[in-house]
Amino acid sequence: MTKVLGKKELESWLNSIMQERILVAPKRVDDLVLFTPVHSVDEIAFDFQNTTLSPKELFFPRTETLFTIVHKDGEIEFTPVTVDRETVLFGIRPCDARGIAILDGPYLSDPPDSLWAQHRDKTTLIGLACAKPAPQCFCTSMGSSPTDTSNVDILLTEVDDGYAVEIVTEKGEKLLQGAELKESDVKPSVPQCDASVPAEGIVDAVKRAFEDPYWSRLADRCIHCNICAYVCPTCYCFDIRDYKAGGKIERIRTWESCQSKGFSRIAGGYDPRANKGSRLRQRFCHKLLYFPEQFGPLGCVGCGRCVTACPVNIDIREIISDIQERGAQVGQRSN
Amino acid sequence: MVKEATEPTNVNPFVPYPATLKDVTDLTPDVKLFTVVLDRAEDEFDYKPGQFAFVSAFGVGEAPFGLTSVAHRKEGLQFAIRRVGTVTNTLHQLEPGTKLGVRGPFGNFFPLDDYKGKNIFIVGGGIGFAPLRPVVNTLLDRRKDYGNILILNAARSPQDLCFRSECDDWGKAPNTKVELTVDAGDENWKGRVALAPDVVEELKPSPDNAISIICGPPIMIRFTLQRLKKLGFGDEQIVTTLEGKMKCGLGKCFRCNVGEIYVCRDGPVFTFEQISQFIEQF
Amino acid sequence: MEADFTSQIREKARELLEKGTVECVIGYETGSDGVSARPSFIYNPSEVERLVFDNTCSHNLVKYLLDKKGKPTAIVVKGCDSRALNLLLSEKQLQRDQIFIIGVVCPGVVEWGWNRRSEQFQKRCDLCRQHTPLVYDLLIGTPVTEEPPPEFTDIAEMSARATEERASFWREQAERCLRCYACRQACPGCYCIDCFVEQLDPEWVGIRIATGENLMWNTIRAFHLAGRCIACNECERVCPVNLPLSLLNRKLEEEMLELFDYRAGMSEDATAPLITFIKEEKLGIGE
Repeated sequence: MTKVLGKKELESWLNSIMQERILVAPKRVDDLVLFTPVHSVDEIAFDFQNTTLSPKELFFPRTETLFTIVHKDGEIEFTPVTVDRETVLFGIRPCDARGIAILDGPYLSDPPDSLWAQHRDKTTLIGLACAKPAPQCFCTSMGSSPTDTSNVDILLTEVDDGYAVEIVTEKGEKLLQGAELKESDVKPSVPQCDASVPAEGIVDAVKRAFEDPYWSRLADRCIHCNICAYVCPTCYCFDIRDYKAGGKIERIRTWESCQSKGFSRIAGGYDPRANKGSRLRQRFCHKLLYFPEQFGPLGCVGCGRCVTACPVNIDIREIISDIQERGAQVGQRSN
Repeated sequence: MVKEATEPTNVNPFVPYPATLKDVTDLTPDVKLFTVVLDRAEDEFDYKPGQFAFVSAFGVGEAPFGLTSVAHRKEGLQFAIRRVGTVTNTLHQLEPGTKLGVRGPFGNFFPLDDYKGKNIFIVGGGIGFAPLRPVVNTLLDRRKDYGNILILNAARSPQDLCFRSECDDWGKAPNTKVELTVDAGDENWKGRVALAPDVVEELKPSPDNAISIICGPPIMIRFTLQRLKKLGFGDEQIVTTLEGKMKCGLGKCFRCNVGEIYVCRDGPVFTFEQISQFIEQF
Repeated sequence: MEADFTSQIREKARELLEKGTVECVIGYETGSDGVSARPSFIYNPSEVERLVFDNTCSHNLVKYLLDKKGKPTAIVVKGCDSRALNLLLSEKQLQRDQIFIIGVVCPGVVEWGWNRRSEQFQKRCDLCRQHTPLVYDLLIGTPVTEEPPPEFTDIAEMSARATEERASFWREQAERCLRCYACRQACPGCYCIDCFVEQLDPEWVGIRIATGENLMWNTIRAFHLAGRCIACNECERVCPVNLPLSLLNRKLEEEMLELFDYRAGMSEDATAPLITFIKEEKLGIGE
């Protein structure tokens, strides 16, 4: 038997959540779909393939104050920022939930990033399984699936008369208390996503093809617009600087991208990645080589956002295939 | 795949220790020596030559600098800082008594205990001597543990030589020699005018039972390395400290990486044997 | 038409590469979706079959020439793109004798995205005054008589709105901005070695990705392009959150026409009003 939440019951459940917590859900803003705090179920978009931007922003905001700095009686005081409000993130896709789980690697490894840890602790994830993966999606190739429950607290899958409910964690169970679930013999469909991107063995292939001229040829086309990094659920580069306003100083962390010029330029001017090819290689090597070597999983979840957002069609699926081929050639030459 | 979420904590690793600037001394026209004291006794930390810390100039930001003092002398935290960017520009304008922030210590260190009984050849160029000063001071404070010590301090011009007055004292220690060289002299300069790599060739330090520690601008390192290898030094006998653009110092932000190596966490001290194994060239 | 343009581009590219006239031909090829075009860099005559030209070739390729300084390069340009060439030639960023220009009389490009291609022309193409390139070494297609429609009707509508209404419109837009700087990266007129937004001393724009700072960024960028924007609209095309940047740029284009009767990129030896100082000119300050 399957637990099912009818459409009306879902509505009243979400309404009750909104009373006590911040509910963040996909919302149409002009022609975009963005995760936004909502105050009414009417605001929520249900018929979307995936959101324009990833939900990483709830955990790694585009701009976040790390702490404030106050000069007081000749002394200096730091006030760390704390996350107080409980948030429920509704409508996260399994690929994006995996993205957040993957970022636990860098953010929760010792010493843990206290802000990330607090955002994680205070947020409950209600996943929405993909009914129709988009043409650019390839989560299955990256070890997940449109109905993957691994990284959410609750997964909802649309069925005829509502949503099939899978309770994954205690946090999820707690949130569902009071929701009117019914038992049904409906079987949610299991949609397929592109499983053909050859990600297996990519770590070794990237290592072998590290010096391949492929990267500089690819970088011919790249305009280093940073969009891939900003839409990506697993890109986490940041800048830290101080912000002064109204006699107050805040130390601020903001999104940044490894594709920006001067990202790795050190004081005095030397930049170990001054050329376009080595900059572009850095992004893909981070995702496909350095990240898995350090944390296990590949740093890509197959959400396909960079594929559609790149203004010059630098397509990570194509790169993975090309690098497999080139890595194999290098392997043959050296054997 | 997913690491266990640790208990959420309010201990934010980006919050520095409150500190006070105690003293500022000019070393060269664009390098000053800053002595900083932590405000709270409980924050005091031990550190080793080669490690670094972030110094905050509030209202501007923070930047990483090599610790150029030695912990056991308890003279405060010292940083030799060249004026090159926004944070360093601000620091250069500060007066003693100003409140600062310090975050550290980070990174690995020169394994001086492993070098006991060896002859040590130190080559520093310009501000590159900053992380080598605590090496020299540690070696000299434990003078009898080491063999011959030869120090080459190089700079573009006589006035750009860092720690020049200290060099005289260092040279007075037993079996310790200090050589100075500049790329271009001036009317008062009676010393050597030659590029550091050429002086290395001239000094001909023996690679037998020796370690060479070098730090300076990339071009000096490149040519000094060549000469040392010509003299018979193996890659494993040559040690340096790398500089990388850093934001966190915690092995998280992945900005200072060279290939899979984090300069902040795995370094900054590496032998050339290690550097030659990096997948990405520095 | 498309097939014919494609074959002429390929033929010229092959000839230029075989003769060694250029090192590289920058044109368009079919993207990973099999539906839309993407920029293409051809170094070898054997690769010229990759080149295509169709109604999704909206990218302004001229910016890439800045990466090819000192290297003889051929480039495919549409009418609008040719204004970018003129802009960069007049600002002494490119050397004319290093560039072989394959001009294409552009019938207009359509609204498209990855794996998506409509039959509807882009708005800027409906307003186009420059289907035929202004500068070229080879012209593909037959020059057309330009019959430009009224071009600033949307700007007039925006200007007619109450100040507070406009302000809140732009605040809403700026709130979305990610400060990714894709607009700048795609813009042929944005080639500063150190963009003001990344300068720290002085810090022109604060680090926060927040409405106020974002407004500041987009406004200053627009001002830096006053009298320089050639209306290729690449900034708006690439923006990941669809900011209507052309409204800013075209407002300033309108102002430049009114004040100086000047349109950027119309000739390679143009004198741009805002970067030209004439001693006799009255500044209207302290007079």
